[in-house]
Amino acid sequence: MTRRLAAALGVAVLLAGPPAPAHHVGAWSPRDNEVSANFKQLKFSLQAGKLDVARRLYVEGALRRELLARRAALPPGLDTAIRRALETCDVGAAEGGLMVFVAALARDLAREAERQLADPADPPAARLATGRRFLEAVWRYYNLIDFAVTQRDARAATTVRLAFDEAEGIVRGPARGTSPAPPAALEPAAAVARLGAVFRRVAEVLDGLVARAAPGATG
Amino acid sequence: MSAPRGSARTAPAAAADAWRLPPAWVLLVAVLLIACAEVGGASMVQFKLELSRWARGQMLARPDVHGLVGVRDVDEPVLDEALTKFDAGLRLFHLHGEGMGTVIVVAAMVTTTLVEAPALRRAILLLVTVGGAVYPVGYLVWSALIPYQGLARSRAIAEWAVWIPFGGAAIAAMWLLTAALALRLLRRRPAGAVP
Repeated sequence: MTRRLAAALGVAVLLAGPPAPAHHVGAWSPRDNEVSANFKQLKFSLQAGKLDVARRLYVEGALRRELLARRAALPPGLDTAIRRALETCDVGAAEGGLMVFVAALARDLAREAERQLADPADPPAARLATGRRFLEAVWRYYNLIDFAVTQRDARAATTVRLAFDEAEGIVRGPARGTSPAPPAALEPAAAVARLGAVFRRVAEVLDGLVARAAPGATG
Repeated sequence: MSAPRGSARTAPAAAADAWRLPPAWVLLVAVLLIACAEVGGASMVQFKLELSRWARGQMLARPDVHGLVGVRDVDEPVLDEALTKFDAGLRLFHLHGEGMGTVIVVAAMVTTTLVEAPALRRAILLLVTVGGAVYPVGYLVWSALIPYQGLARSRAIAEWAVWIPFGGAAIAAMWLLTAALALRLLRRRPAGAVP
């Protein structure tokens, strides 16, 4: 009886299945960079009606430093418009100006993503991995302003979100039960081409948004 | 001076029930592992900045390995994740080294005292000591490989070279010990006894 029990225990140990591959190695989630952290501080200050705090955070913050560094690629007078809005307590205009800047950051990243995806020097699988990283970076910025964009240009916001959904499906595979044809079945080269097209669409929509929402723009 | 009541009976019984010391080499390995874990923890704190700078420099020197694209907004989260995991590997070595050192001492003591079959006792001691001592080193290997091999590949190497074989050995030892103790209990129960 005991021999049988021992044998059974031994077999159970041996056949307990392969060792679990998921060893505990810690968790990581992306952190804010100094621009996005400054943006959030500004947004919360504006929402709380603390315009003096927001003004100081903007003038001394990393967001403005980045804005001035990228001045050439931004609508003219954006910095002046944001500062004037903060001084005159025009919360809507200040939020709009910040939205334009962050949208321009996301647009530039989408353009760079499209450029790198089109570079034939790397194999398609590597470009697809690069595209996934760009997608996360673009989304980190766009996610900051999604609500503001939806309030001002619902059509642009919907187009961008649909484009992100499509891109997610291309780089990670479709959600279960979704249609149409699963993009995960695509060859890497075809997936890269589709991803490039998605980034182009995102860049175009955000470029239009920046142009329409820029200070002094009509309509 | 009279002896305490029952001392004639309790002295041999106490000798029979006393915990026996595991072999010296097992204790040496366990204590050495704990000492290494302590040194690792202290070094991790003392040289945190230097270690981070070194790892970051190594990663920047290997953009292809880490998929760096030359755009700050894309690369910084990649580097941040790798550095966080690099640091986590050192921390986990420290934690597992201390923990497994203690596990080896306790498991070896239980094995030496209660497992009667010599072959089984030796097998359990060998598995728990070697497996338990080398398993935490896997975290150190993982951490050291991250700057050179990237997150996924370094983890796969550590997993297949260290964690699975040596962690598996430690797990097998614990199950063998469990089975041996269960058998011992079953054998000691008198025939026809009501549980």
